[in-house]
Amino acid sequence: MKVLILLPPFLPVTEISKIINQILPDSEIVTDINFGSKNSEVLVATTFTLIGKEIIDRLPNLKFIQIASTGYDNVDLIALKERGIKLSNIPTANKESVAEHVLAMVLSQLKNLMHFHNEIVKGNWPFLTNSMELMGKTFGIIGMGAIGRKLAERLLFFGTDTIYYDIVKLSEEEEEILGVRYAGLDEIFSRSDIISVHVPLTDENDRFISKKRFDMMKDGSIFVNTSRGELVDEDALINAVKSKGIRACIDVYSTEPPDPDSELFKLDNAIFSPHIAGVTIESQQRFITETVANVLKYVQGLQPLYGVLP
Amino acid sequence: MKGYEIFRKTIEELKLSPMFGNPGSTEIPILRGVGDYVLTLHDSISVGMADGLAQYSGRPTIANLHTLPGVANSMSFIHTARLNHSPIIVTSGQQDSRHAFYEPLLWHDLQSLVGNAVKYFYEVKNGEDIERVMKRAYSISMEPPAGPVFVSFPMDVVDQDAEYRNLPYSVPNTELIDHGAVEKVLQLIMQASNPALIAGAEVDQFNANEELEKFASILGIPVYTEPLSNRAGFNSESMQNAGDLPPATTAINLALIKHDLILNFGGEFTLYPYLPSPLLPGKKVVTVTMTPSYRFGEYITGNPKLFLMELNKSAEKKGDFVKSPDNSLTNLIARERRVMGASYLLQKARKEFSGHVIVDEAISSSLLVRKHMGYSPRSYFTAKSGQLGWGMPAAAGISLKVPRVLEIVGDGSIIYTIQTLWTISNYNLPVKILVLDNGGYTILKSFSASFYPGLEKAPYLTFSNNILKIAESFGVESREADPDLNELKWLSQGDSPKLLVAKVPKTIPKLFI
Repeated sequence: MKVLILLPPFLPVTEISKIINQILPDSEIVTDINFGSKNSEVLVATTFTLIGKEIIDRLPNLKFIQIASTGYDNVDLIALKERGIKLSNIPTANKESVAEHVLAMVLSQLKNLMHFHNEIVKGNWPFLTNSMELMGKTFGIIGMGAIGRKLAERLLFFGTDTIYYDIVKLSEEEEEILGVRYAGLDEIFSRSDIISVHVPLTDENDRFISKKRFDMMKDGSIFVNTSRGELVDEDALINAVKSKGIRACIDVYSTEPPDPDSELFKLDNAIFSPHIAGVTIESQQRFITETVANVLKYVQGLQPLYGVLP
Repeated sequence: MKGYEIFRKTIEELKLSPMFGNPGSTEIPILRGVGDYVLTLHDSISVGMADGLAQYSGRPTIANLHTLPGVANSMSFIHTARLNHSPIIVTSGQQDSRHAFYEPLLWHDLQSLVGNAVKYFYEVKNGEDIERVMKRAYSISMEPPAGPVFVSFPMDVVDQDAEYRNLPYSVPNTELIDHGAVEKVLQLIMQASNPALIAGAEVDQFNANEELEKFASILGIPVYTEPLSNRAGFNSESMQNAGDLPPATTAINLALIKHDLILNFGGEFTLYPYLPSPLLPGKKVVTVTMTPSYRFGEYITGNPKLFLMELNKSAEKKGDFVKSPDNSLTNLIARERRVMGASYLLQKARKEFSGHVIVDEAISSSLLVRKHMGYSPRSYFTAKSGQLGWGMPAAAGISLKVPRVLEIVGDGSIIYTIQTLWTISNYNLPVKILVLDNGGYTILKSFSASFYPGLEKAPYLTFSNNILKIAESFGVESREADPDLNELKWLSQGDSPKLLVAKVPKTIPKLFI
C-alpha cells in the first residue's frame, strides 16, 4: 500500500526518512506541496500544510489521511466527505505536556514569579509577598478527558481539593484513584480557587464561559485556558480580571495569533503563552509514535483510532 | 522378564525419575514398573512439571499420560515443551493391541494426535522394543533442538516376556563449533559501524551467559534480549544489557534502528502481533545457534558457548555502550506504593526473594517482572508458546531440584491448572506463589484497547475468583497482601508451599503499539 508523507521542509527530513524506511519502506516523503499526481492510498501530514481540495484531487486513490497532531483545522473536511476519505488526528500525545503547562502557570501565579522576576530585573529586592501554596486549594477541572485526568493525577501530590465537571461522570473507582469529586458547573465556578478548562470546542459550548460564569468566581481566583480560545468570552474575561482580580493563565485565544493591542495584554495579573502548552520535545516524539501506530493499523486493514471522519 | 519390568530397569538406568503422570486404566499395567511416581490431578500438569525440571536440570524427564484423553488434554503443554527445547519423554498407555481393530473405548491413533509437536513417535509392538525404544527416545530428546518425544505402550505388550539386554545408548554431542565462522564474525564486527548483540534462550541452555557477557564487555556494545525469551539469555544487571526486544516487527526495527550489524546468539524473532513493517530491512543479521531455523538472515551452526569462547580470544573494543541508570525508578515506586502497583510489589519482592528461581506467568506484567525481579543464568523461566497454565506446574517441577522457587502468576493464568496446588501440597514442594490479581485478562484488554477499542470493556474479559479459598481447599497456606506488603516476608520464609494474593490495580497498560 502506497503511503505519502507530506512534511514541512523545516523538519529533519533525512532523519525522519531513516525511521520511515524501517517502518514502511515503500513510503514516499515529500516536502513540496507541488508534488504532482500520486497513486497513494494514505496521506500523512502535519498541521503546517493546508490540505485543501487541490492536494486531495492530486491523490485519486486517497482513502485515509492521518494528521500528526491534535488539531486538524488545516484539512478541508468538506472535500474529504465528498470523496468519503477517512481522517484521523492524534488527540492524546500531548496530554502530559498540557497538564504540566497548566501547573507551571498556576504555580507561577500563586508564587508571584512574574512579579519577583520583574522586580529583580529592575534592581529591586522585594521583602514582602502574598504568595500562596497550591496545597489545600480547591481546584476545579472542566472536562475530564485525557488531559483533565493527567492534571488530576498530578494534583494528587499537591494535596488539593479537586472537583470536576464533565458531560460523562467517571466511575466511582476512577474518582477514587484520581482523588476527585464530581460537581456541577455552578459549584465549580463558585467554589474553586483555580479553574482549568479542558473541553473540545463544539457548536454548543462556544463562549460558554461568559460574564455569568466569571461573576460566580471568587475574587482573586485563578482561571486557566489551554483548551480553545472560543470557549471563553474574552471581553468578559478582561472585565473579570479588572473588576474581581481574577488571575488569568491563557494559552489560547479567540483569534490566533491575537491582536497585540488587545486589552488582554495590558492586564497585570495575567500570564500568556502562544498556544504551545502541548508542544514539548517529548510530546512531539509521542506524536510521531502514535502517528506511525495509527497508519500501521490502517495499512494492515484495521480501523485506525481517533477517527475525525471514521 | 516382563515388559513392565524391562521398562522399570530402563528408566532406572536412564535416571528418568520421578515419572509425572495422571493414570487411567490403560496405564495401570505399565505403572507396575514405576517406583517414583508424582501424581498430578490433570494430565497436562505432568508435562508442565517435566518441562520445568528438564529445563532447569538440562536432562531428559519423563511424563506418563492417559492415552487419548490424557494426550489430548496435554497437547498445548507438549507444544510448549517443543518451543522451550525441553527434552521430555512423553509416554502413554494404549488399548490392548489384540482388539485395537475394533477401535475400543479410549483407543486412538496417537501418532496422528501428537503430530509434529514431538520429534519422535513410536508405539511399542512387542516386549523386545521397550529397552531400545526408550534409549532411542532418550537420545533423540537431547539432540538439538532438544524437545519432547513420544512412546506409547499397548496394555498387552508390557506383559510380554523379553530380555533386558543392557543396550548402549548415546548422549548427543553438542560440542560443535565452526572455527572458520569465528574469523568471519570478527571481520563483520570490524567492518560494522554500530553492531549490537542479541541474547537468546539458547545462551542459558548451553550455559554461555558468562562468555556472552565477557564478549559484550570487551566490545563495549549493547546486548538486547530476544523477543519473548523463555529463559535468561543475559544477566539483567550487566552494564551491557540494553533490555528486551519487543515482539512486533515495527517495534523491533525501531529498537535496533541505530545498528547495522546484529549478531544473534541463540535467539529467535518471535513475532506478535502482526504489523506490516518487514523485519529489519537493510540490516545484516547473523545468528549463531545449535538449532538454525533459517527463517531470517544468515546462520552459523554451533554451540554458542564454544563460539563465544573463541570470539573472546580475539575480540577488541568496538564501542563504549553502557546502559543508562533508571533514574525514575524511585519516583515510580513511590507513586505505585499508594495503589499497590505491580512495580512497587515486585521491587519489594525482589528484596525478599533474592536468589530464587523465578517462574513467570504474569503475562500483562511480564515486562515488569523481568525489569524489577531481574534475571541471571538459570534463574528465570516462562513458556515460549504463550499458553496459560504452564507456570505453576513448571515451578513445581523445578522445585524438585532447587528449594527456592517463586512463581509470579496472574489471576487469569493460575486458574488454568489450579489443581497443581494439590500436587504442591501433597508432596510438600517448596514453591512460593505470588498472584498478581488484577481481576481479569488484562493482556486482552490492552490488546483490545490498541487494535479493537471498546472491547476492553467487554464483560467476558473481567472476572473475580477467591484464590485464597481455592488454595486453602488444596491445603496450601495462603494470605492476601496488605498495603505495606508485610506478607512478602511470610511468603519467603520456610520450605512449605505458600500462596500470596496481591490485589493490584485494574488499570490497562499500553503493551501494544
